[in-house]
Parts: sequence; structure tokens; C-alpha cells
Amino acid sequence: MSVETVEGSVAPAPKRGVSILFGLTLLGLLLALWLALGVATNAFWTPNNISNLLRQGAMTAILAVGQTFVIITAGIDLSVGAVVGFTSVIVAWLLAAGVPLWLAIVATLAIGVLIGVFHAFGIVRMGLPPFIITLATLTSLRGIGLLITNGSTISITNEAFTNFSRADFLGVPSLFWMVIVVAVPAYVFLHLSRFGRYLFAVGSNREAARLSGVNVDRTIYLAYILSSTCAAFVGLLLASRIGIGNATQAEGWELQAIASSVIGGTSLFGAVGSVHGPLLGAFILATINNGANLLNVNSFWQRIVTGLLIIVIVYFDQLRRRGSR
Amino acid sequence: MTGLQEVSHRHEADVQAAGGHSVPKGEPILELRGLQKNYGAVQALKPATITFLSGEIHAIVGENGAGKSTLIKLLTGVIPRTAGEVRWCGEPVQLASPNEAIARGINAVHQEVVLCPHLSVAANMFLGDEMNRTGLMRKRAMTVAAKGVLDDLGFNLPADATLGNLTIGQQQLVATARAAMRGIRFLIFDEPTAYLTRQESAQLFRLIRRLQSEGVTIVYISHRLEEVFELADRVSVLRDGTHVGTRNIGETDEDELIALMINRTIEQIYHKEHFPFGETILETRGLSGPGFTDISLSVRAGEIVGLYGLIGAGRSEFALGLYGRQPTRAGEVHWQGRRVEIANERKAMELGIALAPESRRDQGLCLNLPIGLNINLPVFRRLTRGLTINRAEEAANADRQIRDLQIKTPSRRVLASAMSGGNQQKIVIGKWLSHGAKLFIFDEPTVGVDVGTKAEIYRLFARLLEQGAGIILISSYLPEVYELADRLHVFRQGRLVASHDYRAASHEEVLAQAINA
Repeated sequence: MSVETVEGSVAPAPKRGVSILFGLTLLGLLLALWLALGVATNAFWTPNNISNLLRQGAMTAILAVGQTFVIITAGIDLSVGAVVGFTSVIVAWLLAAGVPLWLAIVATLAIGVLIGVFHAFGIVRMGLPPFIITLATLTSLRGIGLLITNGSTISITNEAFTNFSRADFLGVPSLFWMVIVVAVPAYVFLHLSRFGRYLFAVGSNREAARLSGVNVDRTIYLAYILSSTCAAFVGLLLASRIGIGNATQAEGWELQAIASSVIGGTSLFGAVGSVHGPLLGAFILATINNGANLLNVNSFWQRIVTGLLIIVIVYFDQLRRRGSR
Repeated sequence: MTGLQEVSHRHEADVQAAGGHSVPKGEPILELRGLQKNYGAVQALKPATITFLSGEIHAIVGENGAGKSTLIKLLTGVIPRTAGEVRWCGEPVQLASPNEAIARGINAVHQEVVLCPHLSVAANMFLGDEMNRTGLMRKRAMTVAAKGVLDDLGFNLPADATLGNLTIGQQQLVATARAAMRGIRFLIFDEPTAYLTRQESAQLFRLIRRLQSEGVTIVYISHRLEEVFELADRVSVLRDGTHVGTRNIGETDEDELIALMINRTIEQIYHKEHFPFGETILETRGLSGPGFTDISLSVRAGEIVGLYGLIGAGRSEFALGLYGRQPTRAGEVHWQGRRVEIANERKAMELGIALAPESRRDQGLCLNLPIGLNINLPVFRRLTRGLTINRAEEAANADRQIRDLQIKTPSRRVLASAMSGGNQQKIVIGKWLSHGAKLFIFDEPTVGVDVGTKAEIYRLFARLLEQGAGIILISSYLPEVYELADRLHVFRQGRLVASHDYRAASHEEVLAQAINA
């Protein structure tokens, strides 16, 4: 029945126009927050604070981009926070063992790839729901990380590595540059390459995609590998920033990443999402965090506000979709 | 003693209270006066004046987009009207909500079953209206009552089975039984036989006639004109949102109705051109797999090979096996004289096989993605230059298919879900035209598709044959395969039981072979 609702020429507004509009709305919200905080506090528009804000948002933003690939295929990756903590341990461990820096970085990213392969294997070959397999790795990776460190932390003495996160390039924190390093190829991949189209198709109707010659299994592998690799990359950045490897770090970041993605217009039912949306979502969340600190608001309130924001934004997004149908 | 009467009796008081007084047979029960619906600037239904008489079976026919769905939604209170008046038993009514429509005794059975697949048949029949004692459900009583109703209606269905385990056709019968036990006075069927087998259709028709004999007014919407002539007392025709006429069934014929619907004659619909057959494109020898056994057939260039049988006879399974979607167990496939193994869909596509699958919704389309993406899905590899897709070619390819197939959309960016059934089928076909193939498999290409689009699809077949392609046409609608197939194979219970040349056997013969020899 519903397929026939709009007959003939009663057509919804073209999709892309709507998605640009939504992106602009989010950007407007972000700018409005910045303006409001600039008026409300003196400390907001200081170079120090802005750098800090960009650093805070950067890691969630990279996680959110990876997460978005998975969500577009109608899946979910709950393990990313644990992967961040785990890979921070791995890189610290490798460096402590005297492995050269470049090799430690490559090896850590490779572990991210392997974790993604494992997730996709569980989903494609074993038929496990994404929620379950990534929930399982969430808890076990933290366990493995704690075993390696015996429950403590590993300090990182490599200064080249730890200085990176504090460095600036052209006046912008290097961590923020990393967002661009991830986002530009991610944009090309999702919006300009055929693999991006395949992600959407698999998320919309797996069987139709398969019968149209899309390699569905490979597409799912790709999505989870990208998500875990982004998380491993964030693990490197976090280790650099705090100078230690600790398996309990990044607790709850998977929810931050999912929230950023959803605020950025990604549909948890799949087939709807972008790269710029989650980036904006991540920086909106970071701004709320930052602003709450500056305004001396009890940090518990931040969590409540974040929750409300998710409800409000997704609700308006639903209204928009319904209106355009 | 259980049965339909007893169960529906529970509702009669409510319906009487809400629905005014009873109307003698043959008198107007529901009158539409200038009923109109606009979506923005678009008139989905232009002012229509139609009278439904108490106790009649009133068919409504029209192409997709003619306004049939809009009319049903207005009558069942799903959408509000823009203008006009509806009189129920002589009194003006609002029909502002589905609940109001149901309370007055107006109900609809939809084409797509809208029930809960994980609940039992009985639970579905009593959904929202459960029998209970002090708040606790009387599960056994409901199962017994449901079984009584089903038996009474002559449906041989288990009341305690899980609904999702039944075939679509059986689910449709459950939906009908559910509507029938709610004390209805006015029942709308929207394309009820689209997914039914012949026996199931026959059961449904018996039920419809029985409801009529009990005084229920029936509105029957169908693309299948032969059903309209078998069943209806009167028929109304819609075209482009306009009510173009109402006829007594005895005073009209198929030709006139089609002329009213589309201004085309019936010869023009089954457009059959004969082309000289070329080389053998595909041959299967004793191919077996899940749902089909020992199938040997061949397709030549310029030939339409029809596969006829009931739903579940193994035709679609054979197509999926051939296409590499399902593994085959035994047998050989020869492609242009060479033995091949088709391990997966991509291998089939590489050879030059295209499949327009049985269900547009489940297998054919990514509904919540744009039309353009759907059309280009098989050819993104071809559209890729280096790392990225050539956006100009992508747009041009989609627009070309939209133009060539006359898909009615303002833009390739519109979501596929916004299209009517006929236009959706065109998108599925457009996908494979842009990919190009030597062998096209069309599985039920005209289910839920209006007459006009049907004719377009058949003409397209001729175009493909002319270009040297072969076609496998799967259909449970006999006239279609009968009129179009150069060679007709009959499937029954997973086996190929008979084969005929073009029009070599009679309809009756083919039917008998499909049902039981």
C-alpha cells in the first residue's frame, strides 16, 4: 500500500537539496552555540580554548565518521571505545619494547584492520547480529588490554610521539588536521566512489543489492574494517595526547560516536548518512562539553543535555523526512 | 458451535449504534458527491460522484496513478478529503479517522498484508480485539473461535500456526477472515489476488460472494479485468484522477473498459512480434537445486520462453538457481554452447544474464534510495573513472532510462518508494537495460502493474528480442505467458511437467497440467 501513496507527479523534494539544508542547519546550530558562548563567557574565544575544543572534538569526530560507514549498512559498531583503549595499550607496549615508531603505528593500525575483519567475519560467516559481535569485542578487548598491562598503565617515553598531539600546524592543532586527513578520503569514498553507493544499497536492501551484482559480503567487511581502523587511529592519537597506554581509557566513546553520527543525520535504520554530518555532530557535542566547563555547569548536566539534544535533533529530522514524503 | 456469524455477532451492536439504520438491498449505502483530494497543487482525485448500492459488488479499475489508492484512503479515513461530501446511509459523514470508518462498518483488505508475522493466526485475527477474562487473554478460546471462522469460510488453515510461516496468499486469506469477523457492512479489497494461487483466489471469491449474500457491500479493486467480469455487478473506471464512468457489468465488455482506462485496444496490450530465432543462448540439462528438480530447457536469441505454474511451483527458485543466488545440486548449464558454473550473481551478470526478481519490494529495489542510484546499481563499475564515479555519466545514464521507459518522476533524485507499482517495475527493468544482457529473466513483471504499463513492458520485450536477446518470462497469470511465450513450460511441484509451442495447447490444458495432471 504505502508504495503507492504518492501517485504520479506528487514527488518529494529532491534528496540532495534536503541533505544540504540539514547540514547547513547543523552548521548554524554550531555557530549559534559558539556565538552564545562567546557572549556568555570571556574565556571561550581565546586561542587556548579554541585549540582545546578542536582537540576534544577531533577524536570523537574521527570515530563518528568510521561509525557512520557501519550505520549506513544498517549495522552498529559498539566496540570503538574499547578499540581506542586497546590500541593505546598496543602502541605503548610496542614502543616500550623498543619497536621503531613507524612500525608501532603501522602495527597498531593493522590491529584495527584485524578487529574489523573479525567483526565482519562474525556477521557474514557466523550470522551474528552486529550488535552482539561488537558488544562481545567491547568487553573482551578491554579484558585483553588489562591482561597485557596487568591492570596498570604503560607510560610512553617517545617524545616525538607524545609531542605530536600538542603541536600546531599553521596555527591549528595537529589533532584537528587529523580530522581533515580522515574526512577528505572518507568523503571521496562515501560520496564519490562506487563503494560508497554500495554501502547505501546494502543498508537499504541487502537482497536487491546482491541481485544487482553488489558484493554484499565484501561491502560489510569494508564498513567494519573502516570503523575499527578509524578507532585504532584514534587510539594512537589518544596515546599521544595522554602519554600512556591504558585499556580503560575512552570509556563510553562508542556512544559519543553513535550520538555524533545520529545528530549528524545518520539513520540507525541504514541507507541515510553523510561524512560532514557526523563531523558537525561531534563538534556540537564537544562545544556543549566545553561550554559547560566554562560556565561551571555541573558536568553531570552535560550528559543530560546531550541526551535531550539527541532527542530534539532526531525528532526534527524525522519531521523533515515525513514532510518531504 | 462456532463460526463467522457467532464471532461477528459480537460487533453488530457497535456497528448498528455507530452506523445509522440499515439500508435495503439495491438502495444507495455510500454516496460520494464531488469527493476531491489534492496533494499541494496536484489533484490526486478530481471531484468524483459515485454511488455504491447496498449489497452489490462494485469493481473499481484504472491504471496506477488513476486515483484508486487515494479513493480507498479517503473511504477508510486514512487521509482527509480536500472537498466534497460523503453520505453513509443517507447521512453526511466525516470519515476523519480509520477508527470512525471501522466503527461505521467500513473496512479494507490491503494488497500487502499488514499483520504481525510473529504472532499466531488466531492472535492476528483477534488483534486489538482480544477475548479476555478479567484482563487475562483467553488464548485457547480465541484459537477455537478462529478455527471455527476459518473452517466456516472454507479456508483450510491452521489457527495456531505462526502467521509468518504461511504463504503470502494464505496470509491474505487470514487478513480477509479478520476483516469478515468484525461485523462489516462495507468491505474494500485492494488487488487481493496479486499474490494468490488459483485455488486461493477461488476460495477468496467464494468468501466475497458469501459476504455479499449476507448483505455486505463489496468494493473490488483489481488490475485483472477477467476477475472483474467474474465477480462484479457494476464497475467504475478511474483515469488520471477522474471518474470516467460506471457501467453495469452486463452492459459492457473488456474492450470498452480498457478504452475507458487508457484509450487502447486489447490487441495492443499483448503486443507479440515474432522474430527469427538465433543461436541457443542458454541450455540447462537436468538442473536441480532447492525447490526445483531436473529442469532441462533452452532459450534462443529472439525467443520468449514462458514458465507457467502456481506460486511455489519452483519457477522463481529455478530462476534464482540459474542466476547463482542459490547453489544448484546437480545438472549442467551451457552458455552459448560452453559449459559454465554460475557460482554467484556477479558471475551470472558477467555472462550476460539479467534478473528482474519476483518481489520489487524485497528483492528488486532499494526503496529508500533515489531512483537514479537504483538504476545505476549494476553499472557503477562501468561508471567509475579511477577512484571516483563520473557524476555526469551517472546522471546521464539514469536520466536516459527514466526518459526511455517514461518513468513518471520529476527527478532521478526522488526516492524509489515514492513511485507507484508500475513505475517501480520500470525502475527494476531500467537497471538491467542500462547494464545490458543477452538473457533477461522477468519474474512476474506485471504483478500490481496497470494495463498501460503492462503494454509498455510487453513492447519492451519485443525491443529486446529484436536486439538479439532471449527472455525467460515467469508468470502465474496465464494469458500473459500464453499470448507472449514462443515456448511455454509448465511447472508443478518443482518439476517441469509439460512444454508447448506458441498457442499449441488450450488454456484449460495448461491449467490442468499446472494444478494436477
